[in-house]
Amino acid sequence: MSDLKYVGTYIERPDAVNKAIGKAVFIDDIRLPNMLYAEILTPPIAHAKILSIDTTEAEKSEGVIKVVTGAQCNITFGDCVRDRYPMAKDKVRYIGEPVAAVIANSVHNAREAVKKIKVEYENLPVYTDALEAIKNDAVLIHEKNGEYWHLPTYQPIPKTNIAMHYTLIKGDVEKGFEEADEVVEGDFVYPFGSSAAIEPHGAIAWFHEDKTIEIWSSSICPTIIQEDIARTYGRPVSDVRVHIPEIGGCFGYKSDVTIEQTVAYIASFVPGRPVKWVATRAQDFTSTLIGHGVRIHMKLGAKRNGKFVAVKSTVYHSVGAYADTGVNVTQAATHTVGAYEIPNAFLEGFSVYTNTPPVGAYRGYGYQYPHFAIERLINMLARKLKIDELEMRSINYLSEGKETVLGEKIWKTNGDVKKCADNVKEVIFSKPKPKEDDKYYYGRGFAAVIKGPKGTPNSGKGCYMKLNIDGSVTVIMGGAEVGQGLRTVVRQVAAEALKIPPEKVRVYMELDTDFSPWEWQTIGSMFTTQGGRAIVLAAERLISMMKKNASYALKCDEDLLDYDGQYIFLKSDPSVKVPVTDIARGYMTEGGITVGEVVQATSAGRLPRYSNPDLKTGRGNMGVNYTFGAQGCEIRIEKDTGKIIIDNFVSSFDIGRVINPVQLRGQIVGGVMMGIGATLYEQLKFDEKGNLINPHFSSYRFPTIKDTPIEQTVIYVETPDGVGPFGARGIGEHPVLGVAPAILNAIFDAIGIDFFEIPITPDKIKKAIENKKEVMK
Amino acid sequence: MSSKVNFTVNGEKKSVEIEGWEKLLDVLRDYLNLTGAKRGCDDGTCGTCTVIVNGEAVKSCMFPASRLEGADIVTIEGLSKEGVNPIQRALIDSGAVQCGFCTPGIVTELTVLFTKNPEATEEQIKEALSKHLCRCTGYESIFEGAKSAQKKLEGAKNAQRLFNKDVKK
Repeated sequence: MSDLKYVGTYIERPDAVNKAIGKAVFIDDIRLPNMLYAEILTPPIAHAKILSIDTTEAEKSEGVIKVVTGAQCNITFGDCVRDRYPMAKDKVRYIGEPVAAVIANSVHNAREAVKKIKVEYENLPVYTDALEAIKNDAVLIHEKNGEYWHLPTYQPIPKTNIAMHYTLIKGDVEKGFEEADEVVEGDFVYPFGSSAAIEPHGAIAWFHEDKTIEIWSSSICPTIIQEDIARTYGRPVSDVRVHIPEIGGCFGYKSDVTIEQTVAYIASFVPGRPVKWVATRAQDFTSTLIGHGVRIHMKLGAKRNGKFVAVKSTVYHSVGAYADTGVNVTQAATHTVGAYEIPNAFLEGFSVYTNTPPVGAYRGYGYQYPHFAIERLINMLARKLKIDELEMRSINYLSEGKETVLGEKIWKTNGDVKKCADNVKEVIFSKPKPKEDDKYYYGRGFAAVIKGPKGTPNSGKGCYMKLNIDGSVTVIMGGAEVGQGLRTVVRQVAAEALKIPPEKVRVYMELDTDFSPWEWQTIGSMFTTQGGRAIVLAAERLISMMKKNASYALKCDEDLLDYDGQYIFLKSDPSVKVPVTDIARGYMTEGGITVGEVVQATSAGRLPRYSNPDLKTGRGNMGVNYTFGAQGCEIRIEKDTGKIIIDNFVSSFDIGRVINPVQLRGQIVGGVMMGIGATLYEQLKFDEKGNLINPHFSSYRFPTIKDTPIEQTVIYVETPDGVGPFGARGIGEHPVLGVAPAILNAIFDAIGIDFFEIPITPDKIKKAIENKKEVMK
Repeated sequence: MSSKVNFTVNGEKKSVEIEGWEKLLDVLRDYLNLTGAKRGCDDGTCGTCTVIVNGEAVKSCMFPASRLEGADIVTIEGLSKEGVNPIQRALIDSGAVQCGFCTPGIVTELTVLFTKNPEATEEQIKEALSKHLCRCTGYESIFEGAKSAQKKLEGAKNAQRLFNKDVKK
């Protein structure tokens, strides 16, 4: 039985009705007076010099207000590396790069006019893979690599296409491998993919006559946009106002500043009028951020008893034409080796410029790639050592007092991976595997997971809370709702902390930097932990203010008072009380003189001791708040077709504290499905000119309802967290982490073939089985 | 080439001057300010623009505006005239509404399915839902919500009521 009243129960999402009846307002639903529309011209080849742009015909086209090029553009932007341009100046580096734009009175007229812009290019070699771009004789994609402003933790290598080089050193890796009785290694590939929210990304920018700038974006980082636009146009941050309407899914790529800078640049040519640009699906694939593009070579060594002694990895990350936040993903992909303690490590990551769309956040933020590598290698190593794979994992799991490769000591309050693993084992491995039959091969696979937020040292969440005159409470925060359900979390946590029914908690419905409290950005599965902490702190402040006001009303010291959600009362005699509705704005004496506090408070929550990496060792407190879990699956492979059917996909996470069971299951089941998409179906494919071959949902195949597992089992462990509200911790990204290795481990279990590259299509399975049969002959 | 088309939307007569290249989704969103139907793709794959045309679920991003003459259109706004209808309620309760961008299309699809085939099998429900992409839910809660909606409606007449033509108060 839970000791809590509202946390742990189902309540309806505060935004459910508006969304279900089609009244929720998304970026493309916004209509502003006198609004204009932009269309952006992109190049026919991914790497070329711009020799000339002729806009004459476009300017004469119907409804055209202005044609814009990057010729005069001297703006660069970026969060981690300031290597991005709102519009190409003299060179294009990827297929979705803005070359010019038309502002017109309708989307249609803008699109028609864009076709009339003539551009002469001089083609340059196109690199779509880090392995080509990193070669000594490769042409530089950025001649200025090394000169761009960047955060100190991301070190470029000038005069190469390496935008960031990172190493993490722990112990003595060579000595570690010498001590190993068995070593395995492999080359793993996680191809390009798209977060592909159903709502395409878009923005509106409006340069007002009074020099203030207003932006609307389907983005999760209003503050970052506000600060970046202010810096770019030399305005005080307070003169830039950013609105975030309802967001139709994010999954990573609507974070950080991207299209907003381009739309603002375009709109700056027509001051006084708002300009909207919303991506078509094809543009959403090519002109926003994409994900993955990761190659990992990993080597793992263990003693005969299965104890890990050393791990070495090299990550080549094709971060696309602009490295900006891709470098941070590379770093996360490098500094992670799964849920295990490994004493000796040498991990090296390269963010490599390529002529592909810029890579940025994607649910999992780098963590899924090393999970893919190590969880596959563990199975290979266990086979060599003839040890049970689950047994081998269990002697290496991180637990209280053990150390991650980053050098962070795991706290008891970080959770218990062993319990999660046991839950998965119980469901999947405690019964005999079905025997191969005429139609199917059967297999079972497992993967353990761990993830911290990969944020920034000051990645806090603010909260403003006020008590209304009728005892209801309004909570305003800066967290972006993208579907993950953070508004529900806010309502439940606030209700619990304030001891009032959830219906009496009003949750903010939109973000507006003029009114929203500060939040860094809503990423890294951090909102519940940090935002929840901020809510609890604000609630404590509200209660203490109510006590202060009540102390006047009841003529007694504050510490002798208690609060039950409706009244402040004397602890020793609860009949001596005052309703909170009487003291919301202070205490008013009979004569009308008012004293005390207006019951409203601000607060913020951040992670304890989160740090940058040490520049020499690459180590530091770059996780702090981890969530552990384990995932496993039972699959069937259809012999005729090579098709994989997932009979059951099991996930167990140490969630700390369940806040809303329906929402939580939705996050996990949906995350697993996204992982299945990456594992079995999804891949962005580029041709030799850097063109995206499959920029549509009909060709970029992601799962439909027909592709779901027959069953998904979800089991929670609740080891209370030390930071999050009532012990809760983050879960948004974690469900995708173990999916690929669990399925590929199950494929080996079924057919005895090791795969190292996803997606695994039926053709690949059939071919591999045929090859194996050839070899056996 | 512009031309005039006359049709009915959510029970109201409309007359709109359209361009030859325009689709029903353009007409709804840009001329009639009915933004409940969304644009999620450009090749009729995602299903979020689904509306009801003469009783059929139609992807409005592919439906030429020129074919609208005399058509009877019902959009998510029409289905929500009385607030939350039983299909919407079932989807909310099952947790199927996350980001909400695909929800209007799915509500519309299920309205047509349960009107035409109130006894639809699980396979038929899946077939209808397979015309809609959702990136949030993994489809489980949508499927559960659809089945629960079917039970709530208990027959074609109740589903028909959702069209709001002869709703008796």
